[in-house]
Amino acid sequence: MLDRIIFGDNQFFGINHMSEDKAQELAEKFKDLRAITDVLDIAYDCGIKAFMLNTHERTKEICDHFRNNPSRYADLALYPSMPYAHKYANAVAEKGIFGTLRDYILADSSAGDVLRMIAKGGMSLFEQDMLKVMQLLVDMEMKIFRGLNVKVVFLQNIVTDLLLGLKVKEAFVGFSSYIQERYKVEAGFNTMNMPMLVDFLHECGIENPIVCSSINKAGYFMNPNKESYEIALQGKNFRAMAMSILASGAIKPEEAVEYVCKQKAIQSIVFGASSKQHIIQTKDLIERFS
Amino acid sequence: MIKAGFIGFGRMGITHFSMLNTHPKVKIMAVCDQSSTMLKVLNKYVDVKCYKNYKKMLDEIKLDCVLISTPGDSHAEIIMSCIRKGIHVFVEKPFTMTSSEGREIVDEIAEKPIVNQVGYVNRFNEVFMEVKRLIDDGIIGKVVNFSGEMHGATVLKDSKSSWRGKKSAGGGCLFEFASHCIDLVIYLFDKPDTAAGSIMQSIYSSEVEDLVSASFLYKNGCSGSIFVNWSDETYRKPTNIIKILGTHGKIIADKHAFKIYLKEKDTRHGFDQGWNTRYITDFGKPARFYLRGNEFTNQLDCFIDCIDKGEQSNIASFAEALKTDIIMDAITQDAARNLPREGRLTGNADTQDKASFWKRITKRKD
Repeated sequence: MLDRIIFGDNQFFGINHMSEDKAQELAEKFKDLRAITDVLDIAYDCGIKAFMLNTHERTKEICDHFRNNPSRYADLALYPSMPYAHKYANAVAEKGIFGTLRDYILADSSAGDVLRMIAKGGMSLFEQDMLKVMQLLVDMEMKIFRGLNVKVVFLQNIVTDLLLGLKVKEAFVGFSSYIQERYKVEAGFNTMNMPMLVDFLHECGIENPIVCSSINKAGYFMNPNKESYEIALQGKNFRAMAMSILASGAIKPEEAVEYVCKQKAIQSIVFGASSKQHIIQTKDLIERFS
Repeated sequence: MIKAGFIGFGRMGITHFSMLNTHPKVKIMAVCDQSSTMLKVLNKYVDVKCYKNYKKMLDEIKLDCVLISTPGDSHAEIIMSCIRKGIHVFVEKPFTMTSSEGREIVDEIAEKPIVNQVGYVNRFNEVFMEVKRLIDDGIIGKVVNFSGEMHGATVLKDSKSSWRGKKSAGGGCLFEFASHCIDLVIYLFDKPDTAAGSIMQSIYSSEVEDLVSASFLYKNGCSGSIFVNWSDETYRKPTNIIKILGTHGKIIADKHAFKIYLKEKDTRHGFDQGWNTRYITDFGKPARFYLRGNEFTNQLDCFIDCIDKGEQSNIASFAEALKTDIIMDAITQDAARNLPREGRLTGNADTQDKASFWKRITKRKD
């Protein structure tokens, strides 16, 4: 069962889709770990025990904090989303895609050993088995969360949507089954193209998938359009999670939450906020309209 | 179905492939890339024919259009091959390496028309499109002055191994980054008549510039400037900002929003006197398929629409992109003239390595 309310982390990493000034303000506000954990504590103490965390460079610090205070976070449930693509962007510009992947994998002690072991006879692992490469990358990212209670592992939307466009079924099937076998939890998918992805996951044979996408009254980041999302929510077999419900501030909170809660197929709502007032207000609204 | 081929399958090639592969009117037939690893991986998971040699691909497969995402130094040759075969071309920016190459291509197209487009994606950003509409409507009066800035953290060390760090391959901040900023200026205000006070400065790179700035002058009395730096780690992703001063007001815009200041209320466009802010959510529409922002999908869809409807020219045509190539030539020559006496202008890295870069820049003057 998915948590009804999940607290997101974009605000901590200077991400704001609407305003670059606002994004810089946030980056400054959260430069100290303490500022981040203070906000997480507010959410946790008002009853939001589930957090969606991108595998940003700073997420390890956050997870160290959780690990160092096990009794404080006894009911914690994490929904990791990987990979945090910006982490790799500059390396890709310099070394290319495979060069970047190879360097990241070699830098990791256990994954690097696997890569060296398999890369025999002049054929690289990339040529032999990309799914194995994906597994190594997943394991590297999952180290960030070791020892913590993970509920669902998400493939981040840039990668999900890239693979959706490439129509590589093996990647979706491979990610889903590996997360289940290796980590004994379910896989989920973040996307900017929810209706298309849900259909594609069904074609891949992934029944009742967990799909997290922007869903909001403004139609913001709902591609190809809001209507197709509403139709998918009514008729398609998947577990829907909603993010960007406030459309980066374009909709008033009450109106925003009322719209999302009216979509009965939405099981879970992900929202981020950086003040106590906004966290409590959004949580109360979700509970009121649910 | 429109049959498409890809030449160059790095980050941009893959992104374009993913966006176009979901287009209902397009069938992607073949991909050409230098990397055999890439081709083997592609062959295994994606249903396309793979080539290492683009000429072989063009000979063997009947294609309607080609998307070129190779380093800039190869653009002119590949484009010419496509034109001769009557294949429509979308090419990543910069269009070509010099304006003379670009001019030859534009002349060739006049003889053998094809749909032609350069990846100047800002022209498809809904904020910049709205700003252009407002300027053209005369909402801020006559444009007096503008400043365009572009910042990013793409190069934070000397990367000699990448083509982006090599001028001869089409690398450097001018071709790779500033071209977008210059194109945006041309899109909004047309081509400047003169470039002056140009600076091309390296910060980390030994063979290319990391920072470009220049002033632009127009015969109609307007002036402007650009400042572009791809070595600024304070930016999480590449950022464009443009500030435009007119006789009746001012506009400040980035990819997500714009602010407009008006001396008087404008009921036709719904703006109050003083400052007004509009976000992309106020007027933007969702995309057919979203991968890197609506503008990336919309520019490809524009290309396909033009092929579908038989319209040869479009908003980001080769002829438009040639204007940017001409301004880049002008900036390069002007920057060489403006060099300090010792012949180099470098940042904090070892200056000795940089001599070759500045020699090359000076050479381009001839």
